[in-house]
Amino acid sequence: MSKKPLLLLFFIIPQCLWGQAKFVNDTLFSNSDSVVVTATRTERKLNNLTVPVTIINAKTIQQNGSLRLTDILKEQTGINLTSGFGAGIQLQGLNPDYTIILINGEPLVGRTAGVLDLNRIALGNIKKIEIVKGPSSSLYGSEAMAGVINIITDASMGAPLTMGLRYGTYNTIDANLETKLQTSNFQYQGFLNSYNTDGYSIRPNSNSRVTTPIDRYSTTQQIKWDLSSKTNFVLNTRYTSEQIQNEIAVANNGVTIYSIGKENIKDINASATINHRFSKALKTSVRTYTTTYDAIQNLLTINGLPYRDVLNHNFKRIENQTDWNLSKKLQAVFGLGAVWEGVKSSRYDSEKLRKQNDIQYAFTQWEWKPSEQFTLISGLRFDQNRQFASAYSPKISMLYKLNPQHQFRFSVGQGFKAPDFRQLFLDFTNAAAGSYSVFGSAQAQQVIARLDALGQIGNLFPNYYLLKALKPEYSNGMHFTWDWKINTRSAVSLQLFRNDIKNLIESQQVGTYITGAQIFSYLNIGRAFTTGFEAEGQHRFNANWSLNGGYQFLSTGDKDQIAAIKSGTVYTKNNQGYSRLMKLNEYVGLPNTSTHKLQVKLNYNSPKGYYLNLRAIYRSRWAVNNNNGNEVFDNGDVFASGYVAINSAAGKSFKNGLSIQGGVDNISNYIDAANLPNLPGRTFYTSIKYQLQKNKN
Amino acid sequence: MNLQKIAMGLGLSIALVACTKDEETIVVPVSAITVKDLAADTVTGLGLDGRPQSAGTTTYYSLVDNKAIASTDAASTKWDIAFSSTKILINGGTSGPGIGGAFVQIGSFDTFTSIPADSNFKTDNANAASFAIPLGSGKAWYNYDGLTTLVSPIAGRVLVIRTATGKFAKIEIISYYKGGVTLPASASVNDKLFKQRYYTFRDAYQANGSKDF
Repeated sequence: MSKKPLLLLFFIIPQCLWGQAKFVNDTLFSNSDSVVVTATRTERKLNNLTVPVTIINAKTIQQNGSLRLTDILKEQTGINLTSGFGAGIQLQGLNPDYTIILINGEPLVGRTAGVLDLNRIALGNIKKIEIVKGPSSSLYGSEAMAGVINIITDASMGAPLTMGLRYGTYNTIDANLETKLQTSNFQYQGFLNSYNTDGYSIRPNSNSRVTTPIDRYSTTQQIKWDLSSKTNFVLNTRYTSEQIQNEIAVANNGVTIYSIGKENIKDINASATINHRFSKALKTSVRTYTTTYDAIQNLLTINGLPYRDVLNHNFKRIENQTDWNLSKKLQAVFGLGAVWEGVKSSRYDSEKLRKQNDIQYAFTQWEWKPSEQFTLISGLRFDQNRQFASAYSPKISMLYKLNPQHQFRFSVGQGFKAPDFRQLFLDFTNAAAGSYSVFGSAQAQQVIARLDALGQIGNLFPNYYLLKALKPEYSNGMHFTWDWKINTRSAVSLQLFRNDIKNLIESQQVGTYITGAQIFSYLNIGRAFTTGFEAEGQHRFNANWSLNGGYQFLSTGDKDQIAAIKSGTVYTKNNQGYSRLMKLNEYVGLPNTSTHKLQVKLNYNSPKGYYLNLRAIYRSRWAVNNNNGNEVFDNGDVFASGYVAINSAAGKSFKNGLSIQGGVDNISNYIDAANLPNLPGRTFYTSIKYQLQKNKN
Repeated sequence: MNLQKIAMGLGLSIALVACTKDEETIVVPVSAITVKDLAADTVTGLGLDGRPQSAGTTTYYSLVDNKAIASTDAASTKWDIAFSSTKILINGGTSGPGIGGAFVQIGSFDTFTSIPADSNFKTDNANAASFAIPLGSGKAWYNYDGLTTLVSPIAGRVLVIRTATGKFAKIEIISYYKGGVTLPASASVNDKLFKQRYYTFRDAYQANGSKDF
C-alpha cells in the first residue's frame, strides 16, 4: 500500500471531526469554542469560563448507547449513582439533594426523600449536558450546593425527521421520534419517546424484582420564533408519564409487608421566554415556568389492606434577567424573580391541603476582564421566603491563562439548600411498622403538644426543646483547576476541591409515645466536609483511536463524629464483638462515599462512520451499614465491595442517514443486588436509527 | 434452652495463684463469662397485621449462678436481670422484689474495672423508656436501623448492675441475633425475623460485694 491513502485520510479527518464525528470528551479537547450557558447564565466559551464545567455532547451520548440521564452521568468523573428512592447522583461526595437538575435552565421538581429519579429523563433529543461543579447558588438558589446539571435541547440544528428503535435484554424497548421544522424565523422541535421494560430480578429466590416493569412515555416540544431581529420567543413543554408495576417488600422492625400495585407518575413542565435585545450592549429576558410532578402509588398489601401514597408538587416561577455590557472589559447580569411552590402529600397532615412556600430572589453577577489573560467574576444572590430563614449566596471565581497551554481557575462560593417540604411538613405515622412517627419541624412542637394533651406522649427528649425554624443547609466550596494542553494530541486537567457543609438537616428522635414508639423530627445539627481531587486526561493516538479517563479521590467526614472520636468517646468492636476505643485512622467518613473512582474510555471513530468504544468504570468500596452500633463508620462496618463495570458499544453511521448500533453493558456481569440495584447483570442491546437528510443546497 | 456458658477463666486462674500475704488488700480479678444465644421472647411468626408475633415471655437470669431462672420465680430474688425482646429488666423497683439497680457506662468492658463511689444506680419504674436500662434505640445498649431493620449493640456501652441481693456485676451485650453476630444487612427477611431476640453477652460478677472487677 502506498502512502497516499493515509495522507488522504488526514485530509478527510478534520472535516469529520468538525462535522458529525466530533471528538469524544469535549471538555478537555478541541471544544474550547463550545458555548456554555450554565456557568454564568450567559453564553460563554468553555475556555473563558472561571469555574469547572463538563460538557457531554449528543454524539457521546449516542455512541455510548445511553438512554436515560443516569446512563451517561455514571460515566463522568466525580459522579456516582445512588440508589434508594430512584436513581440519584452524588456529585463530589455530596448527596443527590444538593445538585439542582435543570432542563433548558428550568428546575425539575418531584424529589422523594431528596432524590430526583434521573431515570425520568430520556436522552433522545438532548443537544448537550452541562455540568457545573461547585456551589452555584449565587445564580440558581437552593439545591445548587454541589453543582448544577443542565440538560439542553435545541431546535436549531439537525435533521427534519429522526426515528430510532432499540431492543435489549429484559424486553427493554426504547423508541424515539423527533421532528424538526425550520423556516427563516421559526424553529420547531418535537420529540416522542417510549420506554418499556419488564424489569429485572437479580435476587435469587425473591418474589420482588429489583427493577419493576415500567412503561414510560415522554414528549417534548420546543418552539423558537424570531418575532423581529431583536426579539425572539421560546416555548418549551415536556410531559412525562410513567407507570410502574410494584411488587414491594417493606420491612420494618421485623415487620414485612408484601404489596402489589401500581405507581403512576406524571411530570409536566412548560416554560415561555421572551428575549429582547435593546442594543449590542443590553438585552433582557423574561422567563415564566410552571411544572407539576404528580405521583400516586396504589398498593394492595398481602393482607388485603390498601395502601395509598400521594405526592403532588407544583412550582411556578417568573424571572427577569438583564445582561448589560458596560464595556469590553466589564459585563453585568441582573436578575430577579419569584417562585410559588406547593406540595400536597398523603404523608402530610392532610392530603387535600397544599403546603405553600413563596420565594423572592434577586441576583447580580459582574464579570471583569482586564486583559485577555485574566477574568474575574463575582456574584451574589439573595433568596427570601416565607417558610424558613433567608439566604445570601456569594461567589467569586477567576481564570488566569498563563499561555495557550496552561489555564488556572479558582472559585470560592457559598451554596445553600432550603429545607424541603418533607422536612417542614411531614406528618407520617407508620402504623404497620412499629407505629413510629415523623413530624416536619414546622409543626412538630404543635402536633406533639396536642398529643401530649391527649396523654399519648411518653417521653420528650432534649432534642424536642431544640426544635425551631429550620435554617437552610450551607456549603462553602472551593475549586482550583489547572488545565494543561500538552500538545495537539494530549491534554490533562487537575482539580482540587473542598466543600464544608454546616447546618445539615438530620432526622432526630425527639420523644416517644407512651407505647414506646419513636417520634422523630428534623434539626439543623450536622457539620461535614468533602474534599479531594479529580484528574482527567485525554490522548489521541491517531486520527481514529483515542483514550480518555478520569479519576476522583474523595475524602469525606462528619465533623462532629471526628470531634467525638478525638475526644475518646467513640468505641468500636473487635471481631469477637468486644468493645474498644476507636482510633481516628479507622474512621472512613460518610456512608455511600467511595475513596476512589476511575473511568477509562477507549474510543475508535473511522472516517467511514464506524465507531467502537470500550468503557470501564471502577468504584472502590463504600460504607453502607453501621453494624457495631456506634453510628460512626469505621473499618469494622459493612461495606459494599468495590467493583468494575465494563460497557461497550459499536456501530456504523451510513451516508444515507441510517445508523446501527449494538452494545453490551456490564460485560463482566457484576451483580450486587443489595447495594447496586440499578446495575443489572450483563445486558445486550441493538438499535437502529434513521435520520432523514436535509436537502443540501 | 440453647444456652452455653464459656468460662473465660484464664485471667482468673492466674490471678488466684498470685495471692500474697497481704490478703486484705488483694483485688481478685473477676472472670468474664460469655453467655451465648439466650432466647428472649423469640418470634413465633408473622401476624396478620404484619407485626412479629411472640408469646410475650420474659427470660430471667441469675448472674450469681449463671443460669436462666424459671419464670415461676419471677417474684423472687433468684434472678438479677431479665430480657424480653429489646427490653432489659433489673430485679428491683417495679420489676422485682430485689434491691437491684443499674446504669449505662460509656467505656470498654475490659478497662472498666471499678465502679466509682458516686455512681447513681437507677431502678426500674412504670415506664420502660426510663428503666434502669432505658428501652429504645440509641438510649442504652442498642441502635435500631429502620432501613436494615437490624438491632446493633452500641460499641462502648457497659451495663453496670447491682444484683437482686446487692452485689455488683458488669455486662457487655455482644449480639441480639442467634449465632452471636449481628446479621448482615443482606440477611433474608426470615432470618431477620426468627434469629432476633437471642442475646449474647459477657458478664463479670463480683461475688465478694466489692465494686472492683
